[in-house]
Amino acid sequence: MNRYDCIIVGSGPAGLEAAVNLSIRGKNFLLFGNENLSIKLETAPRIDNYLGFPGISGRELQRRYREHLASMNIPLRTEQVNLVYPMGDYFSVATNKNTYQASTIILATGTSPAKLLPGEERLLGRGVGYCATCDAPLYRNKTVAVVGWSNEAALEANFVAELAKKVYYLPVRKFSQTLRDNIQLITSPPVEILGEHQVEALRTKTETIPVDGVFLLRDSIAPSALVPGIQVENGYIVVDADMQTNLPGCFAAGDCTGKPHQLMRAAGQGQTAALAVTRYLDRKASEQ
Amino acid sequence: MLELNQETFQDFIKGETPALVDFWAPWCMPCRIFAPVLEDLSDELDGKVEFGKVNIDDNPDLASQYGITTIPTIILFQQGKPVTQMIGVHSREKVLSTITSHL
Repeated sequence: MNRYDCIIVGSGPAGLEAAVNLSIRGKNFLLFGNENLSIKLETAPRIDNYLGFPGISGRELQRRYREHLASMNIPLRTEQVNLVYPMGDYFSVATNKNTYQASTIILATGTSPAKLLPGEERLLGRGVGYCATCDAPLYRNKTVAVVGWSNEAALEANFVAELAKKVYYLPVRKFSQTLRDNIQLITSPPVEILGEHQVEALRTKTETIPVDGVFLLRDSIAPSALVPGIQVENGYIVVDADMQTNLPGCFAAGDCTGKPHQLMRAAGQGQTAALAVTRYLDRKASEQ
Repeated sequence: MLELNQETFQDFIKGETPALVDFWAPWCMPCRIFAPVLEDLSDELDGKVEFGKVNIDDNPDLASQYGITTIPTIILFQQGKPVTQMIGVHSREKVLSTITSHL
């Protein structure tokens, strides 16, 4: 298997700035992220503290980010990263489509997901899942609810619907995908997951829907679930001044490392992480 | 790690030695990453814990009997009874400490 120098997880300012710097340094890396780069950026109407661009809109900045990537021939992969696992002197990365290997990792996954739903933690692995493409085959001929935070979530709901008998899709944000015939759209927001030993139903604001499973597809997985063994405090990844985490070779940058959640801080950390990665790789190379 | 099926499963978990079973499937990417970690632990715990794996595609009845809805899931059995289970992929150290705390 091809071993990359680095895999960047996240396409906000931290991940993109890391990608730009790794590209300048001639590193062999992969960039994973969302089609819209960053939902927070996309929805920012006006930004006044981005040096050199007073009053710029989030969408305009997003457009410039895209142009910047294109001008440097940096491809963005929209596969969802489900797991980053330290294997000793390298990392294995599982997406919904493939597995990859890299010598280093830069986590730029943004802020941790919103509050958990009541019942979510207790029923995790007992009908509650975070990866539809991983676990959908366990729900053949069953009834499943999919709660989707992103446009890709609707695609995953379609995949689940190929196997499940019936799927309820609850979009948290607007989406543009066409849903399969056996998917019923529910617009009332989810409130609680019910069940004693296994998931039995999903309660929304207006009704209780009996289901065998619930997939919660957020834009980002909590760092501790994404990277087993990573040190997290108050929901943020702990890093040193070089953006190095407690796992050697694994770096983190941007909102996932703490406050303030600001574009320039994130970009600066992304750059710091990329340069630390190059130093780390050079050191490893000279040791061999 | 021993590949288990409907016929061999019960004898395996009822043995004298505690038994750890990995429920997995070939299409599960995280399972593929976790597998070598468990292989490695099976060497380290040789003689103390028997390691086996169940392909849930080939053995859907075993998966539903143990309420498996997310993979990978590992379950530690003693004399045929499940004593602890871990859902998803965990660090090597966490798996090792969880197993040894039940021995």
